Amino acid sequence: MDVYLKYYDLLEQPPEATLEEISKNYSDLKTLYSGDSIEITALNSDFSQELQQDYLSRLDDAYEKLKLLLENKKPVLVKKTVIMDDSLSEWINSIKCFTGVALKSIRERMGVDLKDIFAATRIQPQYLEDIENEQFRSFRAEVYLRSYIVEYTRFLSLDTQKVLADYLPRYRKFHGHNADT
Amino acid sequence: MKRGKIWAVGGGKGGTGKSFITSSMGTALALKGSKTILIDADLGGANLHTFFGLNRPRYSLSDFFDKKVPLQEIILQSGIPNLGLITGSIGSLDSEGINHAQKQKLFRHIRTLDADHILIDLGAGTHNNTLDTFLLADNMIVVTVPEITALENMYHFIKSAYFRKMKFIFKTYNLNATIQDLWKNRASHNISSLKDLITHLKESSDHIRNIFDSEMSGFAVHIIVNQVRTPRDILVGLNLKSVCMNFMGLPVIYSGYSRQDDAVQKNINSKEPFMIFNRLSPVVKEVKTMTENILTGTNISVRKDLDDGCLSKIL
Ligand SMILES: Nc1ncnc2c1ncn2[C@@H]1O[C@H](COP(=O)(O)OP(=O)(O)OP(=O)(O)O)[C@@H](O)[C@H]1O
Ligand SMILES: [Mg+2]
Repeated sequence: MDVYLKYYDLLEQPPEATLEEISKNYSDLKTLYSGDSIEITALNSDFSQELQQDYLSRLDDAYEKLKLLLENKKPVLVKKTVIMDDSLSEWINSIKCFTGVALKSIRERMGVDLKDIFAATRIQPQYLEDIENEQFRSFRAEVYLRSYIVEYTRFLSLDTQKVLADYLPRYRKFHGHNADT
Repeated sequence: MKRGKIWAVGGGKGGTGKSFITSSMGTALALKGSKTILIDADLGGANLHTFFGLNRPRYSLSDFFDKKVPLQEIILQSGIPNLGLITGSIGSLDSEGINHAQKQKLFRHIRTLDADHILIDLGAGTHNNTLDTFLLADNMIVVTVPEITALENMYHFIKSAYFRKMKFIFKTYNLNATIQDLWKNRASHNISSLKDLITHLKESSDHIRNIFDSEMSGFAVHIIVNQVRTPRDILVGLNLKSVCMNFMGLPVIYSGYSRQDDAVQKNINSKEPFMIFNRLSPVVKEVKTMTENILTGTNISVRKDLDDGCLSKIL
């Protein structure tokens, strides 16, 4: 993180600055130091061409880095490589219906912890558990459940559409067909 | 006895408004109820008293230097409650005319004045006596105007003050030869600016780096931009902050600005203190703002006002 603080310093912004604020300052500083403003002209020998080039390229670099950082604010996915050997995938293929119990046993056989899924997806472990235990009461709207299942199955490299097709009707049945779609 | 805060106002170029700003900030402090004393240390061109409509002051610093009258006894009434004035000696002495002992005695007396705030108005230029008085202050302030020549002189003034302080400090550590030699042979060390010199010294040893950290890190100059006419002029202070840090390695605080107002000149000529007779001028509010900012060590925030366009309407 230290190196990022240096970038913030160069752009003369605090670390909590938004990308918009940073972009504004970037363009102001660039204008100030590339043009022939009175503040720069008066510096005379304290501002040589080399110093100017050096400063501007450091400024550009800092801006690019911060832009990248702020555009991808989500934590980097640390997907644990799931070992899918033949026998495991054969067993998964043989599953008739992806219920909560089925999902849980797949995950456990893969040696994946709920905390791993949380770390990558930011879905609270409580909700992941509720999915596996079919605690349908926890999900007031289907859209939330759906988005969680999408992330959950992607993490485990399962067939997302098939899981949704098996799992969601059970949820709807529980809510007496009243759930929104 | 309490020791008052010392403010010194310099800036290199003549006529930028140092005396006007000093007298106005002093008035602002006095009106707030702080016991304030102004000292005109522009020994060559003393005129601070004129801003209060006094034209033949009864006492001046020459009584202190020549007749050995204690400083406390040559304080004049400015006409404003809580505000005392020590005038310079008109014409009789120039700033180069006082010797080292006199200077030390003046500084000693200034430190023992009974006041909350002591504001010292300096003359133009970067004479050693001017720099030493500037360095005496708790709040070092420069007044400049948005003009290349004024900015050149101001950069030079700030660098000279820093360099002089650095030499003092190094002397107390018996290192003055180091810095002198280095500066004399700067070409061979690839040193072309004060910033290079500082970098070089800091990298030369941990001992020297520690000296910088403990003795020089408090060096921060407050900048005031006077006589602004456009929103772009107001940005000068912000830009100076960036430039001084990046290319001189010196931190500065942008305390405030004050716009060009013809009323200033009118008031001087009609012998009326500006802050009292011009309550409606925006300059009064601007002076109060810069005074507050200096008291608290904060930067003025102008970017938002400028973006909202409210300043362009009034200027
Ligand atoms: N904000 C202002 N608006 C209009 N006029 C101003 C302003 N500030 C200063 N002036 C004018 O500029 C002139 C010079 O101001 P002042 O004497 O304060 O400068 P100075 O820096 O003290 O000069 P010196 O270097 O000679 O001591 C004054 O006569 C005053 O009329
Ligand atoms: Mg003056």
